[in-house]
Amino acid sequence: MSEDSSTQPIDQADANEHAPAAAGSDGRAAASQLQRATQLVQAVRDELGKALIGQQAVIDEVLCALLAGGHVLIEGVPGLGKTLLVRALARCFGGQFARIQFTPDLMPSDVTGHAVYDLASEQFKLRHGPVFTNLLLADEINRAPAKTQAALLEVMQERQVTLEGNALPVPRPFMVLATQNPIDQEGTYPLPEAELDRFMLKLRIDYPEHEQELELVRQVTRSPRSDMLEVAALRPLLRERDVPVLQKICAELPIDAQVLDYAVRLVRASRDWPGLAFGAGPRASIALVRCARARALLHGGEFVTPDDLKACAPAVLRHRVRLAPELEIEGRDVDQVLAQLLDQVAAPRS
Amino acid sequence: MPLSSAEAALRPRNPWEAVDLGVHLAQRHAGLLLGSWAALTLPLLGVLSLLLWRWPGVVLLLFWWLKPAFERLALHVLARALFGATPTLGQALRAWPGQLRGELLASLTWRRFSLSRSFTLPLTQLENLRGPARHQRLHALGRRSGVARWLTILGMHIELVLWSGLLALIWLFLPDQLSEPRNWLSLLLRPPQELLWLEHLSNACYALVLVVWEPVYVACGFSLYLNRRSELEAWDLELAFRRLAERLGAVGQALLLTLAVGLATLLASPPALAGETEPAAEAASALCPLPGEDNPGPDTPRLTHQPLTSRQAQAEIYVLLDQPPFHRVEERFDWNWPERDDEQPNDASPPPAWLQDVAESVEVLLWSLLAVAALLAWRYRDWLRLFAARARGSAAADAPPPTRLFGLAVDPASLPDDLPAAVERLWATDPRAALALLYRGLLSYLLHRRGVPLKDAHTEGEVLVLVQRLGDAPLAAFAARLLAAWQALAYGSRPPPADLGAELGAEWRQLTAATPPREVSA
Repeated sequence: MSEDSSTQPIDQADANEHAPAAAGSDGRAAASQLQRATQLVQAVRDELGKALIGQQAVIDEVLCALLAGGHVLIEGVPGLGKTLLVRALARCFGGQFARIQFTPDLMPSDVTGHAVYDLASEQFKLRHGPVFTNLLLADEINRAPAKTQAALLEVMQERQVTLEGNALPVPRPFMVLATQNPIDQEGTYPLPEAELDRFMLKLRIDYPEHEQELELVRQVTRSPRSDMLEVAALRPLLRERDVPVLQKICAELPIDAQVLDYAVRLVRASRDWPGLAFGAGPRASIALVRCARARALLHGGEFVTPDDLKACAPAVLRHRVRLAPELEIEGRDVDQVLAQLLDQVAAPRS
Repeated sequence: MPLSSAEAALRPRNPWEAVDLGVHLAQRHAGLLLGSWAALTLPLLGVLSLLLWRWPGVVLLLFWWLKPAFERLALHVLARALFGATPTLGQALRAWPGQLRGELLASLTWRRFSLSRSFTLPLTQLENLRGPARHQRLHALGRRSGVARWLTILGMHIELVLWSGLLALIWLFLPDQLSEPRNWLSLLLRPPQELLWLEHLSNACYALVLVVWEPVYVACGFSLYLNRRSELEAWDLELAFRRLAERLGAVGQALLLTLAVGLATLLASPPALAGETEPAAEAASALCPLPGEDNPGPDTPRLTHQPLTSRQAQAEIYVLLDQPPFHRVEERFDWNWPERDDEQPNDASPPPAWLQDVAESVEVLLWSLLAVAALLAWRYRDWLRLFAARARGSAAADAPPPTRLFGLAVDPASLPDDLPAAVERLWATDPRAALALLYRGLLSYLLHRRGVPLKDAHTEGEVLVLVQRLGDAPLAAFAARLLAAWQALAYGSRPPPADLGAELGAEWRQLTAATPPREVSA
């Protein structure tokens, strides 16, 4: 699919939204718009797959979060391409990209910005922090103490930053992709629950398969830069203003009452599930449904199925629940308990 | 061999004292015993190891098995040395093959595991007894060989301790790099061929341990044997007489001769008496003449009316007997098990009231603990069900398939006999009910005919994956079509194509006709 053919439909879709249309042609137009949106998203997905080899599941989930307007926390050991993924994503949709490397001495004002006194104009001038961007990569977010991590709370939820008493909106779309090292590493501060809850998905990035790692090494060693994959070769398939349109299409994807009920039942089950010290809040149900919609769109579905929900559930729930201490001592994983939960909650019935 | 030439004082002893004497015997001839043992066994071990280099375990077993044969050498040396005829090393070794005669086979086979080996060896080797004679002799010596058995058990432990001590000593002398546990492990985890030397080293250590211990063991058994014999045959008395005889020399012999003659005449006189008196003729065989009617004994008035009556004499005799030298007071101290005080029967007196109170409160406590445990089990039943059920695992797999799934009845009996016909009938009026019926039919078919482990939590996509895993392409294609139509209708409110019902019905007929009904064993 060429760049033109993929961006064109969205413009039309944009036009469709404003143009009044007859009731009969409206359904067909919506269907074709949906189809084009799916094609576009899949093109982006394929393009990202060229940059980040062997992590197709992570790419899918990051795209889901982008379509659903959520933020993503990516956990994994260093060197698996977390930063590369974010750079490739920024490249593919042509938006602004900023990166903050979190360190123990990072201050909140280093994230949001601050006012400086300008001697020439004898006035305080606001200096915007790196959060004023489309894609924000918060690298190794758990290396900074809670004070600095909390600087992201407002911007993640409200999409605005309060500086010197003024609320300043950040550009749309805005997405935070935070990476963190596994909690048990040296010198890490665990994220507070409120912060964790604001991330729509928590992804686990794992080592690639043998074949894929082979391909990865082959490609990296061919590139002129010594140790990383080139993202300059990626085509910018999306424009900055396409993303809100895609998000709107995604949000309008129909979902049956039973499937909605299934989502709520899944999240509610986590609250009194034996093996979980505490379960997920209503924000999890919301995130689950939004993520399932995005997944359905990504897979070319015209409606949300229980399969979409079930596939999204681990990423949505795993950072919102806490494992019971007994199981933690036993060395069990949150994912194991969640798999059990998904295996026991009855799927929708008709 | 003259008993008087024995270098040990032969007298009856406590068995453990005899064992101690054995240790002293071995100490006195340690050089010869250890030397002869080493000269005999170490070359043999070397030969065995060379012959069976690849099987060090067999070498050790053979060597251990041959121990009774080696012990004969030590016994030979000890027996000669006890009576002063200590052989030289060469003599002892040359005499060894001769000592092997006599029940060697027995001692290496069925008597190999006898615990009283050290005690019975002198019987076989020194007295040359075999078969029933040996058995009788053993019986005569009495089977009081308990100490000999304990000696063998003790010896096994001493061998083990010394052996492991020697191995530990070698380990302590290892250089630092090797004694680091990881290196040591890597040394041990090599292929077995490379570890043969280690086993042979351990065999050599065992042989060295035997050089030290076995002569002591044989000596202890030998002295136990000597002790038993001196107990039974009064060797100490014999020795005392012999010493007396030697001291008195010829005079003594004459005296002894007269003593003997005197005794003989004394013994010979009663028959002579019997020849003279007719009434006593019937008592001719008795040694003493029986008292006649006129001689009623010490209670006759003639005797009791004498100034010293028999009664008085008896009393005086008893008084005398109670005094030294007839009566000797000896105090002995011994180890004993403590006397039990609680020998009184239990029904003597009921336990005190406070004890009963304590017992009752303990009972209440136990019952309440049980109740708390039951309460906890009820409180955490979810946990137990979840995590105890996981352990059972396969038990659940054998459970009969559920009759309801996704809220649908999937029992074969709940479905119409001619499913496609029913579907086609319903299709015109209610496509949703028709699709639901077909879906139920598919689930029932999968559960009961194909044994697919379907659960409540399975979504349509997962059902499809399970069907695809069956490797039945037509079934998978049918399921994909049906499930796509069902999903579109149920979750997307998209009506199925009008002719889908008939097509699916026909496909279903083909599928169920193609696969013979195969009941899943419940």
